[in-house]
Amino acid sequence: MKLDIKALGTFYEMAREGAGLAAGRLTRMTGVETRVGVTKLNFMRGSEIQKEFGDGTDKVGVRVELSGGIDGHSVIVFDRESALRVVSTLLDEAGDDFDDMSRSAVTEVGQIMNAGFIDGWADVLETGIDVETPEFVEGRTAMDFIGDLEEAPDADDFALLFQSKIEAVDTEIEFRHYLFPERESMAAVLDRHRDPNSIGIEYDKLAGFDEMAKQGAKEVASNITTLTGIETEVEVRKLNFASLEAIPEEIDDEMLVGVAHELDGNPSGYLLFLFDEGSAREVVEATVPSPPDDEFGDLGVSAIKELGNIMASGFIDGWANVLGTTIDHSPPEYIHDYGAAVIDPVVIQLGEDQEFAFVFDTVMRANDREFDCSIYAIPNQDDLERALNELDVEKVADAETKADVSIDELENA
Amino acid sequence: MKTYGSEPGAPEPVQVGISEFVVRGRDAEDTLKSYGLGSCLAVALWDPDSGIGGLAHVMLPDGDAADGADEKPGKYADTAIRAMLRRMVENGAAYTSVEAKIAGGSDMFEFESFGDGVGDRNTAAAKDELGKLGVPIIAEDTGGQRGRTVEFDTSTGTLTVRTADGDHGVVEL
Repeated sequence: MKLDIKALGTFYEMAREGAGLAAGRLTRMTGVETRVGVTKLNFMRGSEIQKEFGDGTDKVGVRVELSGGIDGHSVIVFDRESALRVVSTLLDEAGDDFDDMSRSAVTEVGQIMNAGFIDGWADVLETGIDVETPEFVEGRTAMDFIGDLEEAPDADDFALLFQSKIEAVDTEIEFRHYLFPERESMAAVLDRHRDPNSIGIEYDKLAGFDEMAKQGAKEVASNITTLTGIETEVEVRKLNFASLEAIPEEIDDEMLVGVAHELDGNPSGYLLFLFDEGSAREVVEATVPSPPDDEFGDLGVSAIKELGNIMASGFIDGWANVLGTTIDHSPPEYIHDYGAAVIDPVVIQLGEDQEFAFVFDTVMRANDREFDCSIYAIPNQDDLERALNELDVEKVADAETKADVSIDELENA
Repeated sequence: MKTYGSEPGAPEPVQVGISEFVVRGRDAEDTLKSYGLGSCLAVALWDPDSGIGGLAHVMLPDGDAADGADEKPGKYADTAIRAMLRRMVENGAAYTSVEAKIAGGSDMFEFESFGDGVGDRNTAAAKDELGKLGVPIIAEDTGGQRGRTVEFDTSTGTLTVRTADGDHGVVEL
């Protein structure tokens, strides 16, 4: 099974069409004004999905089995409070528990939305998709929602997830949507929509992607500790495939502080480290011996640039170790600006040659203080494809089993 | 970003996401808003006689040279301006009285791969297209190294530009 940009673009189009129809139907049914937020394709290991579900909150969901144009399961997951809010738009008397009435109300809403997604996919694929009877699911962990699904990935396997955010305007209703396609069915769709002239990326090389993200984050964490003494861990690690214009839309509309680097080598691309203002102040305070009154004055700026530089070196070393290539990074360019504005120049430059991008999306967090750092690595698509195709996946697998030993070290052993 | 089921008279500004454009009449109570433009460019067109106006949030300069501009005219400066102007005229705007205001097109990074600057290219393309169409640019706040958030009020034709930079603050065009 090969991944190819054109075929993934088709999947992306499915996700976007589906989210639009689902949002429109939610509005018609509940009267709640909705807006389609970001649509992404995620490649996630089972272990990461478990982490995402396991945030300690109660959830309810509605899932259906699909067959025909695509085989698999479509699952809508609401946090419990959101589901109760949805129920209250439909029933006059809604309590705090899920009785038969509210269960059936949520199931109906979930089903209408699932049907919206599925109709959108069928439109894009120009084929019919059959849907089984919806099931109501309640629980707190991934096991509760997808544990019994054959196509749900084991901890070390990957799933291609469609992830869409539909926001209710003025009302706090949050939910996530997942599509778990069966591997063979997904392979057939990918194959049908491929560009015959493209080499594509072998699906198994996704392990390389994941290892790049893992090694990059590991090196960054260790460099942060060396420079600032702040102990961090990786909170989120995802590989997204999205249209370029979706990337700035996803970033919070708040002031961000950070650094951007240009990458040159295999792959080329861009690498950004972004902090919210509070976290950036922490960085300055942790690195400057007598912190200035204005954290974002000259002293603060050079402290953040220095940290950016050292994080970039770590990240790039992590990638180069996995890929066995050489990658250089430019000196850091400091930014302190509106969220979307800090990333749109990069997106525009890449947009000259590509419509979509693989985005390595990582969030590092400290346990003992406010320190959130978002890392966006956006490689040039052709370079990335080439680098991954040259990657020896078995070597990556070997390196993984020998935890904490980089491939470089193995090769030099 | 599309919004489904907007309630009439809702005071929330309508978000105009990257590669989108939205057209409104004089009676519209909501404003049009694009957040965090870096090198992207906001193009506001307005016909003072009919009060019909529109805001485009463009990402790239040249749609005529790109595949897919037909499907997403709002993505490119040239095709967005033409499509938005056409929509305004369809809604009753008089072509000859339409005026333009533009904001954005910053160049915050000096990367080698960026060449002359991605923001400059967007601004130049929009000016070129507006010139070809004979639409006068009556105000602009473009270039520099800071991001901008813009809000367009089609009842008055005012384009409010906010920058993250404290010295620059808020400008009404």
